[in-house]
Amino acid sequence: MLEIKNLHVSVGDKEILKGLTLSIKAGEVHAIMGPNGSGKSTLSYVLAGRAGYDITEGSITYNGEDLAALAPEVRAAKGVFLAMQYPVEIPGVTTMMFLKTALNSQRRARGESDLDAVGVLKLVRAKAKTLNVSEEMLKRALNVGFSGGEKKRLEILQMAIFEPKLAVLDETDSGLDIDALKLVAEGVNALRDPTRAMLVITHYQRLLDYIVPDRIHVLAKGRIVAEGGKELALELEAKGYEHILKEPA
Amino acid sequence: MTLALPSTIQARRAEAATIFGSHGVPSRRVEEWKYSDLKVALGEAGIGTDQALWQVDALPEGVTQFDLSKSDAPDWVQKHFAVADRNIMGAASLTLSDGGVALLVAKGAQIAAPLKLAFNGTGHVRGLLVLEEGASLILVESVGIADFRNVGFEIVLGDGASLEHIRISPESGDAVLVEEASLRIAAGARYRAHFAGFGSKLSRMELEIALEGEGAEAHLSGVSVLDGKRHSDVTTHVIHRSGNTISTQLFKHVAGGNARAVYQGKVTVAKGANGSDSHQSAKALLLGENAEADLKPELEIFADDVKCAHGAAVGDLDAESLFYLRARGIPEAEARGLLLHAFLEDAVAEITSTDQRELVRTALLAALKSVA
Repeated sequence: MLEIKNLHVSVGDKEILKGLTLSIKAGEVHAIMGPNGSGKSTLSYVLAGRAGYDITEGSITYNGEDLAALAPEVRAAKGVFLAMQYPVEIPGVTTMMFLKTALNSQRRARGESDLDAVGVLKLVRAKAKTLNVSEEMLKRALNVGFSGGEKKRLEILQMAIFEPKLAVLDETDSGLDIDALKLVAEGVNALRDPTRAMLVITHYQRLLDYIVPDRIHVLAKGRIVAEGGKELALELEAKGYEHILKEPA
Repeated sequence: MTLALPSTIQARRAEAATIFGSHGVPSRRVEEWKYSDLKVALGEAGIGTDQALWQVDALPEGVTQFDLSKSDAPDWVQKHFAVADRNIMGAASLTLSDGGVALLVAKGAQIAAPLKLAFNGTGHVRGLLVLEEGASLILVESVGIADFRNVGFEIVLGDGASLEHIRISPESGDAVLVEEASLRIAAGARYRAHFAGFGSKLSRMELEIALEGEGAEAHLSGVSVLDGKRHSDVTTHVIHRSGNTISTQLFKHVAGGNARAVYQGKVTVAKGANGSDSHQSAKALLLGENAEADLKPELEIFADDVKCAHGAAVGDLDAESLFYLRARGIPEAEARGLLLHAFLEDAVAEITSTDQRELVRTALLAALKSVA
């Protein structure tokens, strides 16, 4: 589903990703772990299409298409979803209104008809319940005054509503206490599906206790320096990044 | 010029003639007109002596109307007309206008239906609105397109009266439209006003608001969405003359193209007006390199124990918010429109009348489509 080959990405004149190669098939959950500054967030932003992240070499292929050539909204309509580390607050736009606009934008781009207000409300309510997102939250301005946990829950709720094909979760565990973490992880696990690929980006191993990946890649200094099964997370937890980084990749 | 009005009013008009005579048509050399050069905008045509028109749609029951071009002005007109207005263009309309409209809401009357007042045509015209003690009204003022119009409007609120004033100034091409409103607000009375402006060659709403009685309040808000070469100016001067008076101001502007948004807001807290509270905020989003916003909040405090805050900010659309919306599938143009609407929303939410708020929202959505 996703093929990243020898990807080099610069922000300004600084090269952040220096030849990253990664491949994910439908139905798989991969994790990317790495220390601060290794390029984890850059990878997530470049997948979602944020401006200012320049691909200088290499390629990203998504379902056979050159992902980098597509605008962010086109990627979203084609099933790419990024759960952001810092979801933005947008005063003046209610959460419900945002969800409706986004959902119908994606549907329209795929040539599907709009869901009416009642249809959207039904869909959102059904999914919101399991993620403990209250009616009151849906009425509030998008992310404004939401706690860290509420923001992350709303990201996962959007993932449940939009039903992406490729979901990238950027530090979804950051700022969550253990109960919030469990709730979010349950939400993510419920979305595991043979037709869906997930890329879980995290600094810490603890999220991977709850979202167990098929494959783990260690990112350091802009490159994948180690790969393995879920046991690699435990090794990192026990020995730290330094230990792995010292070994020849 | 008719001689319909009694001698007391004639004397006030003579005073205005002296004021206007000594200044002439204001140019940017006059501080209050620094960002809106009326002299240049009008060119050789000048302000002329034409008479502009007014129109009241279906006068609501309980409101009395008097045509200022007629003789036998009733006592309430004689008492309140031409008392307050002494700024340059207000003085000009007093000097050059033969007519206009005076409206009265009697003591205690609560008028449910909005009063719809329109000013049309080229030239000068006067308005007077008096709410007696405890009266309440919603005034919806519409601004007709014309080459040039100068409206001088006096509003008097008696003790405990309440007025909500909504003014929508549509996009008006080459028009030069100025209005000066002078307000006197008595104890416990409340004035709420919202000014939605879509600009013209030069559009200006100037307010001088005197909070005269204990506990008087003025709450001003406004939005402007400007494109092309449109210009829109809201200039306010709120004077807290009594103690425990409150004023709030919230203005939001969106300017694209070569447009120019102006907000000048001066708040004076007079000696003895202790315990007064004033807050003013003006923000602008500029959508192009050639768009301009001039925001100038100002404070002048001569009293003790007052709470005053002011702020102004000019910026661009937040790139992170825009990316967030697009990453969730919302196309760029629509996402920009959504963010602009969101930016303006808190100022629109200041309108308490639901119908009027929706009217302003609809006008904004249409304007944002072309500017975003």
